[in-house]
Amino acid sequence: MAVSNRNQERTEILESWTRREFLLGTLGGGVLAVSGGSLIGGCAKWGLGAETFIGKAASYQADLTSIILSGIKELEVEPSEIKGKRILLKPNLIEPHAGCGHINTHPLVVRGAAEAFFRLGASKVLVAEGPGHSRDSLLVLEESGLGDVLVEDRIPFVDLNYDTGYTVPNLGRYTRLATLTFPASIREVDWVVSLAKMKTHHWAGVTLSMKNLFGVMPGSYYGWPKNVLHQEGIEKCILDINTTLRPHFAIVDGIVGMEGDGPIMGNPRNAGVLLMGRNLLAVDATGARIMGIDPRKVPYLAEASGNLGTIQEMFIRQRGETIASVRTDFELVEKISAQRGIRLQ
Amino acid sequence: MNITVEKKTSPISSSLDELRKRVLKDGGFAVRDGGVYSPDATAWAILALDANGIRPDLVENARERLADSQKSDGSVCVSADHPEAFWPTPLAVLAWHGPPDYREPQSRAVRFLVTTSGRQFVRTPDSPLAHDTSLRGWPWIAETHSMVEPTALTLLALRITGHEDHERAREAVHMLMDRQLPKGGWNYGNTAVYGQELHPQPENTGIALHALSGLVFRVDVQRSIDYLRSRILQIRTPLSLGWGLLGLGVWGKRPVEARSWVLESLERQKKYGPYETPFLSLLIVAFHARGGLFSL
Repeated sequence: MAVSNRNQERTEILESWTRREFLLGTLGGGVLAVSGGSLIGGCAKWGLGAETFIGKAASYQADLTSIILSGIKELEVEPSEIKGKRILLKPNLIEPHAGCGHINTHPLVVRGAAEAFFRLGASKVLVAEGPGHSRDSLLVLEESGLGDVLVEDRIPFVDLNYDTGYTVPNLGRYTRLATLTFPASIREVDWVVSLAKMKTHHWAGVTLSMKNLFGVMPGSYYGWPKNVLHQEGIEKCILDINTTLRPHFAIVDGIVGMEGDGPIMGNPRNAGVLLMGRNLLAVDATGARIMGIDPRKVPYLAEASGNLGTIQEMFIRQRGETIASVRTDFELVEKISAQRGIRLQ
Repeated sequence: MNITVEKKTSPISSSLDELRKRVLKDGGFAVRDGGVYSPDATAWAILALDANGIRPDLVENARERLADSQKSDGSVCVSADHPEAFWPTPLAVLAWHGPPDYREPQSRAVRFLVTTSGRQFVRTPDSPLAHDTSLRGWPWIAETHSMVEPTALTLLALRITGHEDHERAREAVHMLMDRQLPKGGWNYGNTAVYGQELHPQPENTGIALHALSGLVFRVDVQRSIDYLRSRILQIRTPLSLGWGLLGLGVWGKRPVEARSWVLESLERQKKYGPYETPFLSLLIVAFHARGGLFSL
């Protein structure tokens, strides 16, 4: 089956979601022209500096929409950048576990982000993810609590594991992969927002907005759990994906994160923050510092610095709260090599 | 007084009608209404329609379409431009089972499978992994590590074609038992990392139990059966419920409520929208196959 044929499948247009169709539908191909051409490689500008915003949120019952709107304003995102645009929110959903809110991006953060973009005039907001550990995305949605939120808010969900693939050259070439196959939903939106979770990670040290993009890669072509990427090396693949697919924005759920043996088996850790920014590398560097982790000691962040943005604190203008005021040292596990020696002094 | 008698259609009949809508002119099936050919959707639709014994013409055409998409090496891939994604191959073997017309493509697919394996390696003493990484199974994608679900599916394909004594089938049994979680159940394929036992998942547990039935002693998988019997009580999503019921069924532990749970799952399409063809088909199969796939 040729990919071009599969694309024909995407003729059902989501312009008018019915309640019945909202969750398991697919995006209509070519519904909305992508501003500025393809998303791939289209947002490489980061200049000499970057900005990140830290907003305090003591719990998920806080007014998260307002915090996100404040962040977007502080980061000087112009209303014209959002108005009429189609926004894809990519949360971090890995595997089904009821009552384990520290594994996945919290549903109320997804709701808050969706509401914020709607208030700014977005024409469409959809949620898309390809869970890494489970083919049963519906079970992941149900047990994370996100399914009910999406039903209630009538926000469409796209299972990226089974999305139509389109293949582009791998612009990073940190791995041997000459090409990368992305889900077609990515090129049918104007903005891709990495809606990540703040966690330690037993293979990568930390998982924030850049590592979150693993979930974009369709399981149909990469396996479960993204076996091709594991085979090629997680850190190199993070760099390849982020170099090739330049997302527009990141929001990190650090209200309750995960410390220790993340991304699944660790313990909840309240950091009480939402972290945002246009430059994912700067966001992740700031996120690492909030967690008490030195981004210069996380190899993939250090490697990306200078190419995808900056991790140098002096070049990251901090909006909202200061790092020092919210720093919450996440537990690191000495026997986990990726977490050894990365504590921020 | 006019009396209108409403003819009620059973959810299973409606689901079969829905499946029939997804048949394409070339005989294959799409993932959803209005879609294009998908080999995994086609294989699952064949199993569902065949289980109901209806429209043998549709089943025949679909089998033919599946055979047309087989590559010269015997594999059946997700798409022509992704030959490395050969995970639908064992599904095709199951879908071709029965009529003599498809013994040739079925045999070629089996030959491909027994000469293909995941990437295995010797675990180093300081490895954070707990499973035996040297055992051969099957991967989702070429040149990657063997995982539980493709290995279990391939074991089912080998069994249904009479190859359960093949050395690869015996090694697959060994591999799956090695990946069983100490507390019971299976997940995608890792048992423990850095000394922490990982969580089981119902779908993987169902398919592994199905593949191993009759090949291992009950006592050796009892904790997985116990896990699944408990876990399935809360599950109504089609993929996990479908494989969960099939896995319990082959071990004689299919819950008496199985059919009503399938109907509940089908009902949830009112909330979530239409299920994709593989998941809808799996539910239909699970509704009928009290003793697992081999009982159809």
